[in-house]
Amino acid sequence: MSLSDLAKPWAAMSYGFLDASAKRELRRKMVKAVAVPGCQMPYASREVPMARGWGTGGLQVSLTLINPKSVVKVIDQGADDSVNAASIRRFLARVSGAMTTTDTLTASLIQSRHRIPEEKLSDNQVLVLQVPNPEPLRPVQPNMSIARQMHADADYSRMWLQLYEQIVCSGRVMQGASYPSLVNGRHVMTPSPIPRWDVPKLHMAEHLTILSAGREKRLFAVPPFTRVEPLVFDDVPFQVEDHADLSCYRSGARGFFMNEIPQDDGTSQYELSDSEYGVKTIRDREGDPVRFGETWYKNGKFS
Amino acid sequence: MIAAIPAFTEDEAQANAAFEALLWALSRPGQIRTLPAPGESGLIAALIDRECKVFCADPLLMPAVLRTGAEIAEADRADHLFLGEMRDLSVLDQLRLGSDLYPDEGATVIARARLGEGQALRLKGPGIDGSMSLRVSGLPDGLWHKRADLIRYPMGFELILLDGDRLAALPRSTLVEVL
Amino acid sequence: MAYVATRGGERAIEQAERLFRAEMGRIEKARVAELRAALPYLIDRVMGEASLYDEDLAALALAQTGGELSEAVLLLRAWRTTQPRLATAEVIEQDGLFTHRRISAAFKDIPGGQILGPTLDYSHRVLATEVLQGDAFTPDPVTPAQAPAPAHQPSVSTWQAENELVDLPEPDPAKGGDIPDLTREPLLFPSRRAHTLQSLARAETGGVLALGYAAMRGYGQAHPTVNELRLAEAEIVVTHPDGRRFSAGRVKVSEAEVVDKKGEKLSLGFAATFGWNEIKCIAAATLDLNSPGAEKGAPTEEEFFLYHTEGVESSGFCIHFKLPHYVTFQSSLDAMRDAKAKRAAKSGEPAQ
Repeated sequence: MSLSDLAKPWAAMSYGFLDASAKRELRRKMVKAVAVPGCQMPYASREVPMARGWGTGGLQVSLTLINPKSVVKVIDQGADDSVNAASIRRFLARVSGAMTTTDTLTASLIQSRHRIPEEKLSDNQVLVLQVPNPEPLRPVQPNMSIARQMHADADYSRMWLQLYEQIVCSGRVMQGASYPSLVNGRHVMTPSPIPRWDVPKLHMAEHLTILSAGREKRLFAVPPFTRVEPLVFDDVPFQVEDHADLSCYRSGARGFFMNEIPQDDGTSQYELSDSEYGVKTIRDREGDPVRFGETWYKNGKFS
Repeated sequence: MIAAIPAFTEDEAQANAAFEALLWALSRPGQIRTLPAPGESGLIAALIDRECKVFCADPLLMPAVLRTGAEIAEADRADHLFLGEMRDLSVLDQLRLGSDLYPDEGATVIARARLGEGQALRLKGPGIDGSMSLRVSGLPDGLWHKRADLIRYPMGFELILLDGDRLAALPRSTLVEVL
Repeated sequence: MAYVATRGGERAIEQAERLFRAEMGRIEKARVAELRAALPYLIDRVMGEASLYDEDLAALALAQTGGELSEAVLLLRAWRTTQPRLATAEVIEQDGLFTHRRISAAFKDIPGGQILGPTLDYSHRVLATEVLQGDAFTPDPVTPAQAPAPAHQPSVSTWQAENELVDLPEPDPAKGGDIPDLTREPLLFPSRRAHTLQSLARAETGGVLALGYAAMRGYGQAHPTVNELRLAEAEIVVTHPDGRRFSAGRVKVSEAEVVDKKGEKLSLGFAATFGWNEIKCIAAATLDLNSPGAEKGAPTEEEFFLYHTEGVESSGFCIHFKLPHYVTFQSSLDAMRDAKAKRAAKSGEPAQ
């Protein structure tokens, strides 16, 4: 045997950037993450050619799953044209040869930061959510080792106490995005900083969701048909953002999560956060043939 | 600065496709998925390398496992167990089940079975819309009771069943009822 | 409409990158060579934080990023992570280091002698502004010592251990592939010794200094005395597949031992890194010295300082706040407005 036998043939880069051993580690951890829904699985988390905190966790999962037949959609804040989404999409395509799309319906792999598309995902799609902070207990316990012990003990009392205090002080739960949710009746998970509007989309869904935090080196999953229940008290129901009655000033669409655009006159206009759904609506209005998928919300109501 | 798309080699393709099937099957316990090739080779390519500790009961698989550089280990230290045809339950008593702190340390067990015939099982849990039925044969008697005894969720192990190029997976989160 | 916007976004990021690179212009081999020759200590710092020893690649990373250090380190780390592991080097002992500089603050003199080696410690920090006037700055030539210092010296802690002043840590028997590798396994707590030292070795210099300084100023339990500080070259000995041992070359390393009295014995803190970086090693060794028994959440507690001195992670997270956060912001606004409306409804005032 010689040294060169131990080395692989020289290539400028592995397929999908990550080397085979990095991919195998991610696969092993994904297996465990799916097996114990909502439980954070530690992984080595390699550096990738993007800054930590910019979707490197989601990127590592996508790079592991991707193949030349994949069709990739990348969104940030719901938009395909957000600069970081564009950058990630370009990188995924150039290291894999995969096709890219903005259409939720034709994507096989969707990497997203802070949103779940408005059109329902199906069982042949995987949603990869970028996660800045994988630990829902961080606000009540910044130390990761102690927080891990609390998960092990299913000790979520401090979490409940915090929610209770918010209700006492403010009359409601003040958590905006990243609403802590109980997965499969056992592990409290952060759904990543998606708005509350999107949390029900994880509950008993048809698609697999993998959540990955590159900087914090943790990944977790919500398999299809898995209970994802926002932490609430019986008498204070879970409340999504009050967007059901807002209309998009560009497309006219109504009943979806909106971006608020402040106006010079002190008022606000609203536009669809799911940019591609907005594009479809406009094209449909202009008479182009457009295929809409079934949406999770109908007339502003989750169904 | 990246000139060309890196090559999607044969090895990459096999590992990628095998994992896609595994992940799909594991996400939907009891639903059968097809591997790119029959047998364990795809799963070995997808999962096993020198960072793994492997128990291998099937001598025919040993060369493939050794080539990965994995450490060959006794069942009680192994993170992956390739059992081939499963003859008895004794190995299960030694399985690593992880801990409440680190459930990921529970083992992954790969065994051969006949899928779609034999004992009827009703499956419930994450990945299953209501319940799901699966017929399996070629596994030792008492396996399902043993599995239920061992799993203390979130501690437990994953069971992957191979029938030629067909694969079904039962993560620890799945409740199995013998009909 | 938004199709255009998509392309617009892509064009914008492409142009933004061009704008950044325009300032550095064309990068040729000569620039990399010049950087390597002119900035050895910066190259060392970058190699240490990248945990990749290659002066040319480090110089290239600096050239490519215009000296934006976090970016240079990330560039090297991202390159490093995809490289195959061919072999694991043999363990390097302190007395096997080819030593250029070794000083101890604990004793006036030490076995092997105090060797100042290259340092600016006693220089007067005066800018050579004449260079800008066109007069070159020509350093005075080094006069070789009549008797050169020995190249190899034992560590000071060895002498202390022989004199029962310190208990040396048990040697870790792990060899080769069994040595825990931080770049291939997640850091979990309590951290394995190898992970702690590896993490400190690639920690961000400024971050280690900040927390180490906090410990030195009194936020730690121990006060460091520099037992020894060493700049050296280490021989990288690997085994060829045919069984022969050979040297793959030498790498510059620095290490620091710091001690504090703990009852009748000394406690020991240690750190080492690629390249010559004294501040980082003293600060890191101080954190190591302080970590046993540190309270959860204290800057000297292992979990606290290892997480927060990881430069690629901390810098990445810091700059990620530049990314749009309008969805999360919108979600918070909604909760705030609703809470306000509820309060107004309760008190009978009209809601805004």
